[in-house]
Amino acid sequence: MAGREPEGAMADGAALAASLAAGIGAFGLGLVVFLNELGVFEVPALYGPAGGVTGRTAAGVVIWLVAWAVLHSRWKDRRMESSGVFGLSLVLIALGVVLTFPPLWHLF
Amino acid sequence: MDIPLFSYRSILTMLHGLGAGGGGLLALFAALFALLTMRTDGHPDAAVERRSRNLRWLIVLAAVLVWGAVIGGTYIVFPPYRATPPEGLTDLTAYPRSLLTSNPETDWLHSFAMETKEHVPWISAMLATAAAFVATRYRSRILSDRTINRMTSALLAICFALAAYAALLGTFVNKVAPLE
Repeated sequence: MAGREPEGAMADGAALAASLAAGIGAFGLGLVVFLNELGVFEVPALYGPAGGVTGRTAAGVVIWLVAWAVLHSRWKDRRMESSGVFGLSLVLIALGVVLTFPPLWHLF
Repeated sequence: MDIPLFSYRSILTMLHGLGAGGGGLLALFAALFALLTMRTDGHPDAAVERRSRNLRWLIVLAAVLVWGAVIGGTYIVFPPYRATPPEGLTDLTAYPRSLLTSNPETDWLHSFAMETKEHVPWISAMLATAAAFVATRYRSRILSDRTINRMTSALLAICFALAAYAALLGTFVNKVAPLE
């Protein structure tokens, strides 16, 4: 994917790192919420009056920022084929949104 | 007796929903419209670069407003919404979550609408930040580079859809059980 001359559209690695990190963050948040609702684990609240949502969303933000830092440091100076990485970003965003959909929690 | 037009809690709700949330939606839509209608092919001239730089600030503003709505909603508006009423209290008007869950016909406004609003806007904020980063790093190219333009447009379109969805659910909740 990186470092070669593909036939598809090219984009700067930093832009793709930002979009893929957002996808990973969305999916990470969705997964944390889903597993929390299934009782696999319980994320402690970061701010008591607001409850567990503060811990779950903080975990999602940490996943997002760590993923972004790693991807940016690796891809920032590269030109890469964009459709594959951006397509993966969109899939992860969609999965993340679906995992935060309350009716899904009650199916398991 | 003086009766205040708005309570402190309702003002906070309005700042969250109308100020940051509504402002963010307006900025997102304006930025998306500009990205799609002002894009150009070929080498950008000075006018295109100037418009790109201005558009960058609009996208950054949208991201700031979305984050304001998300953080304010979670840490300022949500605590009084979910506060537990004292034992035996029959008038639950001041306790929106308990008011909603006390009636089977309005329970979905908490179990579906508010549960959705707790998480989806955070995804929206991540997407807005990614779009603002791309628009800032490639500010002279967001109208002339087709790939950068499409990527930023897609991120903003999804962000707008998620934020609008959350805002609509919030309107429903606030209509039935407002923070007063």
